Amino acid sequence: MLPDPSQEAFTSSLRTFYVSALPRVGRCDPIFLQLTNLRLWLSLMSIAVLLHCPGGARAQSSLDGIRQRGELVIATDATYPPFEYVDGQKLLGFDVDLGNEIGRELGVRVVWKQMAWSGVLGALESHKCDVIISGATITDERKKTTAFSRPYFPSGQTIARRKGDTTVQRLQDLKGRRISVQEETTGQYALQKLGVPKDHINRFDKLEDGLTDVVNGKSDAAVADLPALKESLRKSYPQLELTGGLFTNEYVGVWMRQREPELRDAINRALGIILVDGRYARLYQAWIHEPLTTGILADLDKNRGAGTATDAEVDRASPQSAPPKTMGGSSTDNSPHFTINSGLIRAALPDLLRGAKLTLVLTALALLIGIPLGLAVALARISPATPLVWVAKIYVEVLRGTPLLMQIYVIYFVLPSLRINLDPFTSGVIALSLNAGAYISEIFRAGIESIDTGQMEAARSLGMTYGLAMRWVILPQTVRRVLPPLTNEAVALLKDSSLVSVVALSELMRVGTELATSKGAPTTIYLAVALLYLCMTLPLTWVVRRLEEKYQPISRPRPRKGAVANA
Amino acid sequence: MPDTDAPLLILNGLCKRFGTLDVLRDISLTMREGEVVGLIGASGSGKSTLLRCINRLETPTAGSVRFQDREITPESVNLDRREIGMVFQRFHLFPHLTALENVTLAPRKVLNIPAERAESEGHALLAQVKLTDKADAYPAELSGGQQQRVAIARALALNPALLLFDEPTSALDPELVGEVLEVMRDLAQQGRTMLVATHEMGFCREVAQRVLFLDGGRILEEGPPEQVFTAPKEERTRAFLARVLNR
Repeated sequence: MLPDPSQEAFTSSLRTFYVSALPRVGRCDPIFLQLTNLRLWLSLMSIAVLLHCPGGARAQSSLDGIRQRGELVIATDATYPPFEYVDGQKLLGFDVDLGNEIGRELGVRVVWKQMAWSGVLGALESHKCDVIISGATITDERKKTTAFSRPYFPSGQTIARRKGDTTVQRLQDLKGRRISVQEETTGQYALQKLGVPKDHINRFDKLEDGLTDVVNGKSDAAVADLPALKESLRKSYPQLELTGGLFTNEYVGVWMRQREPELRDAINRALGIILVDGRYARLYQAWIHEPLTTGILADLDKNRGAGTATDAEVDRASPQSAPPKTMGGSSTDNSPHFTINSGLIRAALPDLLRGAKLTLVLTALALLIGIPLGLAVALARISPATPLVWVAKIYVEVLRGTPLLMQIYVIYFVLPSLRINLDPFTSGVIALSLNAGAYISEIFRAGIESIDTGQMEAARSLGMTYGLAMRWVILPQTVRRVLPPLTNEAVALLKDSSLVSVVALSELMRVGTELATSKGAPTTIYLAVALLYLCMTLPLTWVVRRLEEKYQPISRPRPRKGAVANA
Repeated sequence: MPDTDAPLLILNGLCKRFGTLDVLRDISLTMREGEVVGLIGASGSGKSTLLRCINRLETPTAGSVRFQDREITPESVNLDRREIGMVFQRFHLFPHLTALENVTLAPRKVLNIPAERAESEGHALLAQVKLTDKADAYPAELSGGQQQRVAIARALALNPALLLFDEPTSALDPELVGEVLEVMRDLAQQGRTMLVATHEMGFCREVAQRVLFLDGGRILEEGPPEQVFTAPKEERTRAFLARVLNR
């Protein structure tokens, strides 16, 4: 994190909020009614107030700050060769070399921060980095809330298909087909503009996953930036080929915050020098594996205005004009600001609710399968049959000991090599169920083993078989005991279900990430996402608590009998 | 058909060993129908283990158990247990079921008796242990003596030929012991065959026809209560009785 006093103030005020608010919420009963209660909304609004804490007026520009610190912090998602990727421990790529050259021109050290694509914009917004250099395409949508340098790379979208698949030749052929893209990239926008329905676009966090999807036949084609596609195909996808040529003209630029004209001017100047003094040509040759033509340089020069125009911004930054809704605050300081934009939430709500519905369905199905599965595995684990015990043990250890993300990945991407081709939804449900089953089986095992052995002996002494004793004596008592840990698991599962986004399922977290990137307002969107998760988990815990009370026969007053036993 | 004159239970050379510890050594015992046998001895002398080996809650290391003229084997044990009721020191009532449901569970699930009939029989059994008004109470709502009486009713529900009592009053407050012993006395008077491990010497003397003194996993002395209690042949029996009676 950058040394920034206002950031400190923000963090500590947020901490104060959590410390003071959480126990209060915890004691409410029943909790979910509180959602309709004014008090909770008031405390939530107080987050908004806390978040909007201007960190003291500082007339200093961000460029001055960078010079003073002596370092330029650049965020990047290093999963996009040849622009940026990690080889061994080293961060490499066209953008990395270019960013380092920009730092040299500014006379400062460059510090690279690697993060997921979905996180780079939030990092920029919260001043955890100065700029983003990550193969980011300049778009009008993005320019509404953020700014760009002059273009430093000409790009465009093109299509990758399975070799010899002549049904895919040009953009028009993609209508009605399933297409992979990297999420929230210009490729996705171009397909949407073409009229490809959203559920035909498989959105992946990584381009490679999208290409694997095409190889496995789950997608018919992939759409991405020409240089990125070319590099991936050259390196690891010999089964695929490019087709159709460029269908968009795009430019890649350095992504920045608005209202920092000094920094942008400095970077534009640096780029201007790097482009013509031979360094750019060397980078181009090294990473794109083609000689730089004068046509490309001329094109970049002709479109130097494709980034954010300085004049326009100076106008907007004047004190009289209204500040933009979602980012930034007063024009005199550049500390982080967060404002909650209710209009934005309203616009995003239908999409978020669709995501929440998928999250609920996935979780419900996973529990519906995972609970009986977990019970069966627990019974196998404590059974006298040694082979069963071993199968159960291996199942639990493997599924509990490996990341859920890997399990989803294997089921969706690796099983096709065994000719088991499952769609994303089925893969997600299976992975979540298997994973939940492992945890739930341990919950059941612990529950069963916590029942006094005398219970089993008493049941067996009455001539009941092991099965009858389990069914009528042990399990009914177990269920009561495991309700709390089972609820825990259900809530955890609800949140873990967000991992299925790796196979392009648009559950709540994924929808939120997409909206946060496309609307350029992560804080607002993520707060809405968090509230939606709460709206799902709180009723669940409430229902379970009622169940627990119902199943406490010892302390429950029983209305069905006139003579009630004393409590 | 078992021969009616044949003994109900014959233990022959029964041994039980836990690891290196011999808990039962060469126990032989014969019980006729209607007989009440008291099993006395210090804690750890093997009384519980002996009872548990009879209905195979523990598997005997050696020796045989003949019941109703047939050997009890792992294969036959589920059927045999219907005929051998057991009452535990710590009751082991099913806490999620009411008193009545505790009593009717085995008839309904093991013998598949219809709920209605099982319940009317269950009510009768609860009346027998003087708990008519507690049918709908859960175990946690009952006193220890009431719980043990429900447990006795539960053990009677399958109308077993033999009742095993494993120190049924040892976990009870002293003032609650009487009500349980009274129920057991009634059962003895009805001619139930009972094998009772107990520290209640007075009850043994009054109800049992025969008393066995267990010491270190062996039957050290055996005879009518009058003889064992007033004129024990063995020094160890005398020492044990002196200890428990002077308490």
